[in-house]
Amino acid sequence: MSDENAFKDADEVYKYIGGMFETATKTPAFIEETQGGNLVILIKQTKPDAAILVDFPNQTVVTGDEALAGKSTVQLRMSSDNANKFWQGKLNFTLAMAQRKVKLDGKRSVALKLLPLTEGLFDSYKQTLKDDGREDLLVA
Amino acid sequence: MASTQTDDYQAPTSDKSFDAALSDEDFDTLFEQAEELSEYFREIGPEYDKKNTFAFPTIEKYKATDLLALSIPKKFGGHGGSLLQTSKVVSELSKGDSAITLAYNMHYIMVGIAGGLMSDEQNEYWLGRVVKNKEIMFGPFSEKRAGFSGLADMKAIPQEGGGWKIYGTKTWGTLCDAASIITTNATITDKDGNLPDTFEERVAAESFFIADFEFDKDTLQGDGFHVERTWDSLGMHATGTHTIVFDGFFVPESGFICEWRSGAFGVLEWASLMFASIYLGMQSRVLEESIKVLSKKTLGAVFGATVASDVKVSGVGHIIDGVGDMASRYEICRRTLYRTCEEVTLGLDDNWPMELRFPYIGLAKTFIAENVMEMTKHAMSMVGGMSFRRGMIFERLYRDSAASLFQPLNGDQGRTYIGEYLLAPEELED
Ligand SMILES: Cc1cc2nc3c(=O)[nH]c(=O)nc-3n(C[C@H](O)[C@H](O)[C@H](O)COP(=O)(O)OP(=O)(O)OC[C@H]3O[C@@H](n4cnc5c(N)ncnc54)[C@H](O)[C@@H]3O)c2cc1C
Repeated sequence: MSDENAFKDADEVYKYIGGMFETATKTPAFIEETQGGNLVILIKQTKPDAAILVDFPNQTVVTGDEALAGKSTVQLRMSSDNANKFWQGKLNFTLAMAQRKVKLDGKRSVALKLLPLTEGLFDSYKQTLKDDGREDLLVA
Repeated sequence: MASTQTDDYQAPTSDKSFDAALSDEDFDTLFEQAEELSEYFREIGPEYDKKNTFAFPTIEKYKATDLLALSIPKKFGGHGGSLLQTSKVVSELSKGDSAITLAYNMHYIMVGIAGGLMSDEQNEYWLGRVVKNKEIMFGPFSEKRAGFSGLADMKAIPQEGGGWKIYGTKTWGTLCDAASIITTNATITDKDGNLPDTFEERVAAESFFIADFEFDKDTLQGDGFHVERTWDSLGMHATGTHTIVFDGFFVPESGFICEWRSGAFGVLEWASLMFASIYLGMQSRVLEESIKVLSKKTLGAVFGATVASDVKVSGVGHIIDGVGDMASRYEICRRTLYRTCEEVTLGLDDNWPMELRFPYIGLAKTFIAENVMEMTKHAMSMVGGMSFRRGMIFERLYRDSAASLFQPLNGDQGRTYIGEYLLAPEELED
């Protein structure tokens, strides 16, 4: 997987990473945790280029140009390979930030609200990959 | 004096190191205790600076106050002091004696850092011990190879029945003579004691622990560790910053707090403000001592820059300006520190780019460090050669203030963080 990107195109990114957020934003535990708040994340990925806007309080996920045109409170940038690792809990976020592999912008207090959600998101992402027979994307 | 909270105060949204629930009135009572203790530090400080040992009699005095639990959140039985209130107490103590205070400051730092990262259950137990038994915490992290930024070479080897045995050496064990709770970092290895192979794995394996810490003060031997009395330095003598050698020190599973870098970074930025508080107290002391001497000193008949049959130094232009300069520096530093504490408490640091949070909070400390060193130097030049004699408060403050060059972040590191952020290209590193 080292020379090739994890995802062949943006549609794959939307299917798996976007799909994970689709599920998460509609899951009662996430709804309870984020309702009435302002956690709206714009995830911008490179290699391949992709954009996903996750609006937790309104339980919506949009992609592509629509995502880029929307308003967000937190912006997260990384390559799709790193995103694949990150959403499986396999990327040390603090280290990746220090090494500028990941860029997080926006208010820290809002970004911190994402933290308690990540465990659940990791599980959901891995499950999505398994359900679709994409073991090749799972990181050991 | 003790009024601390602004009208638009809101509880911090993210950090749980401080809950800022201490009323001004209750704070005043605690501050009076700090004033008394500071007086005591002032009395015995010179003796321990000379002896070059930890100021042992202060342990009992400190424990007799309610100050140990000052910054512990109310829900864990503490007073719920805010960052600013804690800062004011530390500065007040430092006015009495900066070295003794630098030692006890480690307690506030570790209570805050560990408290912000431990589970509620761990907090109830460990912070509960501070509250109920008046136990003191300390935190040796730095090693010989490198300070705070160096990944721990100290190893935590997993044990069959659970928990870890710790092996390695920490060279900066400030307050070890008074503490009974240790917080430290070590890298978890495989069962044979091999450190992880890759840098990423090392970062992930570096962990933050808390444990009991008890040793025989004569033999210096504890269970699985010993203390080596290596502290011999330019200043800050009474901190008792000795070396601690771990040789199979057992930490049970319940003593694991979290991954060190990802857990601690993000909740320890405020710690630099505690160091800043020490050096602010020192600024106040050097100003006080300078005024005391310079307002009375006369030179008699002189033939030099000024020629006169009798010269009062308080009438000499550069001394008048010098004292004014010192007072101005103190006041600007005080406002910088107080305002930084308030901005962090109010969550206004949210307005800074995330990468700049650490160095920007640290600016208060680096700014105060530069000023305190300038002030202690200037005080000596104004007071004259007598200030250079051993035992004079000025030479003492001059030596002690040099320690402000160190504790993280130092000025160079802070500027590097800021410059790197500003010059970073848009593209990510991949
Ligand atoms: C009185 C006193 C009490 C102390 N008490 C304690 C204590 O209780 N617990 C504790 O853990 N420590 C303690 N310390 C240690 C102190 O805080 C420093 O960690 C220690 O002095 C070594 O770290 P350093 O950054 O100063 O030096 P080093 O880490 O050795 O750094 C050497 C040089 O490299 C630079 N540098 C360091 N890291 C980086 C980096 N990543 N990138 C670029 N440049 C870098 C530094 O700026 C410095 O110029 C104490 C120090 C003093 C003076």
